[in-house]
Amino acid sequence: MSQLDYTIHQPARLQIMSALCQLLEGERVDFTYLKDHLGLTDGNLGAHLSTLEARDYIAVDKEFVARRPKTFVAVTPAGRQAFAEHVAALQLLLAPK
Amino acid sequence: MNITQEDAQRALQDIEASRLAMRGAIRSHRGHLFLWLWGLVWIVMSALFWADAHRFQYAATAVGVAGIIASFAIGMFQNRQIRSRIDKRFVTVCAVLLGFGYLVWPIFFGGLSSYKAGFGYSTLLWMQLYIVAGIWFDNYLLWVGLAVSALVVAGFLLVPGLFWALTILCGAVLVGSGFYVRYFWR
Repeated sequence: MSQLDYTIHQPARLQIMSALCQLLEGERVDFTYLKDHLGLTDGNLGAHLSTLEARDYIAVDKEFVARRPKTFVAVTPAGRQAFAEHVAALQLLLAPK
Repeated sequence: MNITQEDAQRALQDIEASRLAMRGAIRSHRGHLFLWLWGLVWIVMSALFWADAHRFQYAATAVGVAGIIASFAIGMFQNRQIRSRIDKRFVTVCAVLLGFGYLVWPIFFGGLSSYKAGFGYSTLLWMQLYIVAGIWFDNYLLWVGLAVSALVVAGFLLVPGLFWALTILCGAVLVGSGFYVRYFWR
């Protein structure tokens, strides 16, 4: 049975999870690229990512590229499943009874 | 926390908008630039060999080298935004295939006798990588590899008079695949 996930349901986090779930398995997106794509600020995106990471929905990797720190974000299998279940639960809410 | 039907409707609309926007952004990272680049490189190299293989062999090599440099530039730019994890086993398979193809065969078995044979052989070697990649990652590269290999073999064995024309067509297959990847493939 699909369940609503109130961690994901926050509007910005919905957008983040929706965007990340479009990546193929093993792909990661750059923090700045994601921030620009979603139109969020550094702090805002960082806070939402921390919330999602705490639930193991996303993985955040930091590494140095050309001596500069870069942060890459990927969705985890648990995150994909939770997001899919949340979407299914939303659709169920709209289904005619 | 209660979620009303209006909330659910709005959330699903937001999800769809974000999904479409990200999918559009991702499409620009799916390899079509490499297919376009190498399709064009291939067409130019084939045309040069067709015109006068002996005279233009260095020019054709220079075009290939330019393609390699451009590939690195594209790869570096794309890696800054969306990065795939490198599959070390796949990279090893590619290295073994290329090592065998470009070192073992030419050095220990005498290599190839003509520009046609050399170009056809090199094409088939790279297409083996496409086929392996297509099987490994379960994607369109399998069909690109098979189609191009079939054209090259047909040109070499069945209609040698059309060999260079068919290799140019191989380049066009890559360019066409690039359009497919860019506009239709997930």
